[in-house]
Amino acid sequence: MQMDDADPRGRSKPTLLLVDDEERILSALRRCLRREGYEILTAESVTRALQLLDERRIDLVLSDHKMPGRSGVDLLREVRRLQPNAGRLLITGWSQAVSESDLEAVGVSAVIAKPWDDAELKQCLRDALSASAR
Amino acid sequence: MGSSVSVVRIVVAQPGILRERSDTAVALGHLGTDVAIDFVETAAECLCATEEGEVDLVIADHALGDEVFEILAAHRSSGPPVVIVARRNGEEAALDAFRRGAADCIQVGPDYADVLPVVALEQVRRWRQVRERGASERRIRELQRYNENIIQNMNSALGVVDSAGRVTSANPRAEEILGVSPGALLGREANSWLRADESGESLISRTLQGGLRFTGAETALTHKSGRIVPVGMSCSPLLDGDGSQFGAVAIFQDLTEVKLLESQVLQSEKMASIGELAAGVAHEINNPMGFIHANLQQMSEYMNDLRSVWKKTLELQEAAESGDPDYLKQAVKSLRELSSELDIEFVYSDFSKALRESQEGSERIRHIVQDLRDFSHRDTGELLFSDINQALDSTASIVWTMMKHTIVLEKEYGDIPQVRCYPMQLKQVFMNLLVNAYHAIEEKIGELGDRGEGGAIERVEIRTQRSRGGVCVSIRDTGVGIEADDLTRIFDPFFTTKKVGAGTGLGLSMSYNIIQRHGGTIHVESKRGEGSLFEVWLPEDRPDHPPDHPPDGRLRRQGAGDADG
Repeated sequence: MQMDDADPRGRSKPTLLLVDDEERILSALRRCLRREGYEILTAESVTRALQLLDERRIDLVLSDHKMPGRSGVDLLREVRRLQPNAGRLLITGWSQAVSESDLEAVGVSAVIAKPWDDAELKQCLRDALSASAR
Repeated sequence: MGSSVSVVRIVVAQPGILRERSDTAVALGHLGTDVAIDFVETAAECLCATEEGEVDLVIADHALGDEVFEILAAHRSSGPPVVIVARRNGEEAALDAFRRGAADCIQVGPDYADVLPVVALEQVRRWRQVRERGASERRIRELQRYNENIIQNMNSALGVVDSAGRVTSANPRAEEILGVSPGALLGREANSWLRADESGESLISRTLQGGLRFTGAETALTHKSGRIVPVGMSCSPLLDGDGSQFGAVAIFQDLTEVKLLESQVLQSEKMASIGELAAGVAHEINNPMGFIHANLQQMSEYMNDLRSVWKKTLELQEAAESGDPDYLKQAVKSLRELSSELDIEFVYSDFSKALRESQEGSERIRHIVQDLRDFSHRDTGELLFSDINQALDSTASIVWTMMKHTIVLEKEYGDIPQVRCYPMQLKQVFMNLLVNAYHAIEEKIGELGDRGEGGAIERVEIRTQRSRGGVCVSIRDTGVGIEADDLTRIFDPFFTTKKVGAGTGLGLSMSYNIIQRHGGTIHVESKRGEGSLFEVWLPEDRPDHPPDHPPDGRLRRQGAGDADG
């Protein structure tokens, strides 16, 4: 597994947390983003993601919605509470599963549908990061 | 003539001026019964009187001359009897009158008043007998016509066979169903149209041989064109007065359209459940599609990286061949730099990893699509020996796509024999039960609210095992359960507790019918708030035919009734 080294002093590299119960999705996302200059963390469950959020400062969370136990919206709600500055994006193959009002309440900046387009995904992440940096 | 007989009506056609007229009146007054006498003087008046009502006797005096002949002619064929009153030396006239249809002839003389009542009474008695016989014959003819009318015009086909199984009677509907011309069935073997069922005998043969009765049994006929016509047939032995059998009668109906509708309903119900599954299935496909799609984009980038390294390799080859050490050194350095810049080691290994993962993903999609296709197939209408574990598992894997995020699915497949069945129909039953189990759990989660961390404790258990000469499939869920009041109704058509639009109300009733068609049973136990257990039992081999009376009440809807007890 390839992981870019974090800059020990500053935070020149934004830290992304990718959450999906499907390991192959994480693997594909990591592949897609490997030249984007991010430090990438992955979690296969909401529980693991919350653990990482507790330990690390995260700039953006990209989470699947339908996961065993708790949903992506639930996680992003926690993210907003734990690290309000982190960008929040949802990625889902379950298009009608999330209501607009939920998205708004949790402050999800974008919902990405699976299968995604690499270029669009990268653009979404850049937009979300620059928005949350402001 | 019985005493209860009504008033005797007599028409007397006699010239009023004759002395005998009063004799006649007096004589008839001695008939010993109530008499109504119409005196007339012409044939026309006489006819008027007899046409008007039930006249028992006409007495016509020869003195009326030709009028008498007219009276005789008018009553000759249809009665009532005409008695002629003749004068002395009137033998000639009497003979003539008999030739013309007179019932009797009385001479006017001293004993006129004595003879007349005797003759009259005798004629009335005879005539009434004739009339009664005629009436009952008419009544029989009417009844026959009535029955014939019903048989000819009824919308069911009717056929009667003798003890040798030859057709002795068939109505037009029977001829129509078989596509033969009127009368063509008579004398032919009924079995040349009737299909033998699993036992190798037709229903009629079994009725003839075993004296069995069938009600609404499903069998099939062969149309003249060779097309198989599904029919519902009731068949009974024909017994004579001693109770010995001399044939059989069969009533049947063409079920072609019924079957068609049934299969359409079945298919649309199946499609409805697929519709319900669509979101889950889409998700299940979109996940692998997601990473396959992304991997493909990435792999083409990897391909570009490898291509540029390959170019450098060709340059290196060229440099080596040139024999120029500086050029070679430069080429090696350039290749090394590019390899390191592109992290070619990683690209190389990750390329094959991405490829492998994508292949697995596409295999997953293939499976889902395969399961869906299997499920949406129409049944061929043939009974096949099938593996119930396999049918249950492939159905469960479709439903699983929508429940996997909230529910733990436990499977325990026993070592069970193959079952003779309509596999697609059984899959439909399993689908209905599993989707219901899922809904019951969703409803429970909805009621509890989404609290609890990672609370996937709701369970669906599916289990198969050998049981009573067949196979028992049980599906248990930990959902909301069913109200005791509803338990008796859940198999009724159109009964649903789901929201309007959320269910057709046909799922369980159809499941019930399908299981019944297999000669099996479906049984439910449920408690509100604790979940439900559905048990389907299927015989290893389906009975030859749906019997009239299930031998041990197996076909009864046993579950629903006893479950809340």
